[in-house]
Amino acid sequence: MKKKQSNFDGLWQFWQAKDVTKTGRFIFLILVIAGVLSIIRFFDWWFHAEHIASLPLFILLSAITWYGITRIILIWINYLGVKKPARIKAEEGLSVAIFTTSSPGEPLSMFDKTLEACANISYPHTTYLLDDTQDPAFKEIAEKHGAVWLELVGLPGAKAGKVNKALQMVEEDFILIMDPDHIPFPNFLDEVLGFFKDEKVGFVQVSQAYYNQYRSFTAQGAAEQTYTFYGPTMMGMYGYGTSVAIGANCTFRKKALESIEGHGIGLAEDLITSIRLHAAGWKSVFNPVVVSRGLVPEDFGSYCKQQLKWSRGVFEVLFSEWPRLFKSLSFWQKISYLAVSSYYLVGVTTFLFVAIPFLYFWGGWLPANMDFTEFLVYGTPVIVIAIAIYLYVQRWLSHPPSERGLHWKGMVLKFAVWPVFFLGALLAVVNAEIPYIPTAKKAVKGLSPFTRPLIFQVILFVLTLGFVIYNRLYTVSEGILILTSQKIWGMFAFAFVSIIMVIGGIYAAYESRNLEEEEPWSDIDLDKIKLGKK
Amino acid sequence: MKNTVKRFVFVSGALILAIGIVFTFTLLGDQSSGPISGALHALGNKVIEIEQDYLLSQREPIRSKELSWFQLYRDDIDRLKQPDTIFLGVYDNNYQSSFEHILKMEKALQSNLPFIQIYTAWGDKAREQFPMMYARTIYDLGSIPLITWEPWLNDFKREEHNLPAVDDPNIGGLSAIANGDYDFYINSWANDVKSFGHTIFIRFGHEMNDPYRYPWGPQNNEPEDFIAAWKHVVNSFRNLGVDNVIWVWAPQPAHLKYGEYYPGDEFVDWVGVGTLNYGTVASWSQWWTFDEIFGNYHHWLDMFNKPVMITELGCLKVGGERDEWFQDAMTNLPIRYPNIKSIVFFNDDNDATTLNKSLDWSIVDDSLSCSVIRRAIDETW
Repeated sequence: MKKKQSNFDGLWQFWQAKDVTKTGRFIFLILVIAGVLSIIRFFDWWFHAEHIASLPLFILLSAITWYGITRIILIWINYLGVKKPARIKAEEGLSVAIFTTSSPGEPLSMFDKTLEACANISYPHTTYLLDDTQDPAFKEIAEKHGAVWLELVGLPGAKAGKVNKALQMVEEDFILIMDPDHIPFPNFLDEVLGFFKDEKVGFVQVSQAYYNQYRSFTAQGAAEQTYTFYGPTMMGMYGYGTSVAIGANCTFRKKALESIEGHGIGLAEDLITSIRLHAAGWKSVFNPVVVSRGLVPEDFGSYCKQQLKWSRGVFEVLFSEWPRLFKSLSFWQKISYLAVSSYYLVGVTTFLFVAIPFLYFWGGWLPANMDFTEFLVYGTPVIVIAIAIYLYVQRWLSHPPSERGLHWKGMVLKFAVWPVFFLGALLAVVNAEIPYIPTAKKAVKGLSPFTRPLIFQVILFVLTLGFVIYNRLYTVSEGILILTSQKIWGMFAFAFVSIIMVIGGIYAAYESRNLEEEEPWSDIDLDKIKLGKK
Repeated sequence: MKNTVKRFVFVSGALILAIGIVFTFTLLGDQSSGPISGALHALGNKVIEIEQDYLLSQREPIRSKELSWFQLYRDDIDRLKQPDTIFLGVYDNNYQSSFEHILKMEKALQSNLPFIQIYTAWGDKAREQFPMMYARTIYDLGSIPLITWEPWLNDFKREEHNLPAVDDPNIGGLSAIANGDYDFYINSWANDVKSFGHTIFIRFGHEMNDPYRYPWGPQNNEPEDFIAAWKHVVNSFRNLGVDNVIWVWAPQPAHLKYGEYYPGDEFVDWVGVGTLNYGTVASWSQWWTFDEIFGNYHHWLDMFNKPVMITELGCLKVGGERDEWFQDAMTNLPIRYPNIKSIVFFNDDNDATTLNKSLDWSIVDDSLSCSVIRRAIDETW
C-alpha cells in the first residue's frame, strides 16, 4: 500500500486517447506487414516432416500454437482499423436516465458516493436507483442525492432483469446504465450524447477505467488485462463497426433496447445485448475517453469468480447468439463476435501447453524434434514484432500515464488462472450453470479455493522432479541416460516457465489474504475531478 | 484518382519498409545462428556435465563395471597403440536415440564391446561438431569412442568463414585442408577433443584411395594432397596439445594403389579396413568369404607394421548362409591374422549409402550368427 496515494491524483481527471494520425497508421502498417511476413517464415519452418516426434502430439502442439498465432494476426488486423470518433457536441434537451442497481450485501456507502457523483453530472438527467435490497437505508440515500428510488424485487436475471423492468417504467429516450462501483465524472453525458445525433446509433460505450488498481497484485494484473481492450482494441472494433457494449457504463438509445425486447439476460448480458443490437441493424460507437472510474477485483478469489462468470457467460454468445444471428451480422461483426466469444478457449490451450512437458516426464511422449537454434532464429522475429506492436498500440490507450507498460502482472495472472477459464469453457460445453456470483466490491479475506489448482500444479511439478530424479538414479537404462539428459532438463526448464507464472498467481492469492478491508471510495473527493482538456 | 495514388504509395511504402525489417531479421538470424547454436551447444554440454557431476555420479554403474578389465587399456594410450589382445567393437545406427541396441547386442554375443564407432561429417551444423554427448555416453558406458571423421566440405557457409567461392569445394579439397583453410573447424574440434579429456580413436578420411566413393578420393585430389591434409590435421591437434587421439588410417584395399596414401609411421597409430560381404545383392558383388575379402590383401596391410582394425565387419543375408560366413571368419582368427587387434561389427539395419535401397547388416536379432561368433571366440581364440 505504498505507491497507491502517489498515483491517486492523476486518475481523477478527464482524459482521452490520442488522435489516430496518418504517420501513426503508417508505422503500424509497417509493423503488421513485417509481423505477418515473419509469421509466414515461421510457418514455413514449423511444418517440416523431420520436426514430428509423435504425430498426434505434434498435431496438438501445432493446433494450439497456430490457434494462438491466428488470434494474434486477427488482433493486428483489428488494430489496422483503429478509429477515434470525432467529438460531437451533445444536443440540448435530450431526455436521459441513469440507471444504477443495488443488490443485498452491497455497501451502502458506495452508493452514497456513486449517487452523489451521478447527481454531479452536468447534463440534465434523472438518476434511478434500481433496488432489491429491501433495506430502507437505500431509499434514503437515493432521496438524499435526488435519485428516483425504484424497488424491483424478485426479478430474474439480476441486473438485467431490473433494468428491463425499469425500462417499462421510465419515459427517457436515453439510458446510461451505470455500474454502482463506478464514479462518473460531471462531463460523462457530454462526451456521449452527441453521437446519438446519428439516428442509427444504438449505443455508445466509453472506456472503462479504475481507481483501485494500486491496491494489490491482483488488482493491478486484472486492470492491466483490460487496458489494451478499452483503448486500441475497441477503437479498432469501432473502425470495423463492431465495438461492443461491455464492462460498464454503456449508454443506450431506449428505442434500440426496445427493438430487441430489452437488455439481454445472462452471465455476459452486455455482450448478448450488443450482438442483438448489431444484428438488429443498430450502429455502435466507442469513445476512448475516461469519464468514470470504478473498481477492479482486488483479491484473487473475487477476480477468479468474475473471470469464471465471464468465461462461462461469453461462450453463451458463441453457442446461442452467434449462430442464430449470423445472417444479420456484417462480415466483420461475424468475425469479431466469433473472436470475442471464443476468447476463453485460452483456458483449454493453456492447459495443453502446461500438460505437454508432463506427458514427456510421465509417458515419454515428445511432440516435436525441433532444433532450438532454428526455433530461436525463426521465432524471435515474431516475438519481437509482436511485442513491438503491443507497445506501439499503447499510444492509443485511454489514459497512457497510468496504463502504459509491459503488463507482466496481467500476463502472469492470466496464465495462472487458466483452470478458471478451462472450467468456464467446460461448463459451457456441457451447458451447466454456475450460480450468479456478483463481483465482490470489497476485498475478501482468506486463501481462495481458486488457489487449489495452482498449488496442485506446484506439488505436481515437485513430485515429478522427484520421480524423474529417482528414475535417472535407479531405473533408466545406461544406454539412454546421457542421451536424454538435455531433453529432460530442457523440458523441465519449459515446465518451470509455467510454474513461475503459477507461483505468481499463488503470490497474488497469498497477498489477498492480508488486504486491508477498506472502502476505497471513501477517500475520493468529487470536487477534485478535473475536466480540463488533458 | 489522387486518393488511389496516395493509398498505393502508403501501402507499398509500408510493404517495402516491412520487407526491410524482415530482411534485417533474416540477416541477423543468419549471422547469429552460428554463435547461438554454439552457445546452446555449450549450454547443452554443460547440462550433461552438471547432471553427471551432481546426479548420475551417485548411480551404481553396471556396464563400465563389467568392462573394468578394459580400463587398464583405456587409461593408457600407449597400451592401446601396442595392444596385446583383440578388442571387439560395434557401430549401431540407432545410437543417436539410444545405445540400447548395443547393450542388447552384447547380451546376444555374451561379450562386452569396448570400441563403439560413430560417424561424423565435417560442416557447420551442430551435429557436425565434435559429438561430445555421444563421446561422453560411450565413455560412461566404459567403452572408448571410435569416430570416423569424414571431410565432406560442402556443408560450410563459405562467406562466413572467408572461404573463396567455388563450384565444388570438394575438388582439390584436401589441399585446401592442408593449406589451413579449414583450421577454424579443425581447431575447434581439436579443442573439444581435448576438453573431452579421454582417449579416442579418429579414423579420418577413410577409403581415400577409392575414386568412386567419397569426395576426398583420387577423383578430386592427388595422393600427396591426402598425405599433406592428414599431416596438417594431426599436427593441428598436436600443436594444440591434444594428445588423447589415436589415428586410424583406413584405405580401401580393393583399389590396389594405397601405399602412396600412407602418411608415415609417426602420423598413424592403427591401420583400418572394412570387410563387408555384400553377397549377391548387387551386380558387382558375389558371395565372398572373409578370406577372399580380407585375406587377399592382409599381407599388404601387415607391411605397415601397425595394429589392424576391421572397422566394419558385416555380411548380408542374400546369397549364402550368414552364420556360416561368420563362423568361417571368426574361427582361429588370431592365428590366421595375428595383426588384427580389433573387430568392429557393422550393426546397421538401414544402410542406404552404397545402393539405392536400404541394406540390413544388423546381427543383433540374428541369434544364430551371434552364437557362432561366441563359440568361435571361446573355442579357437
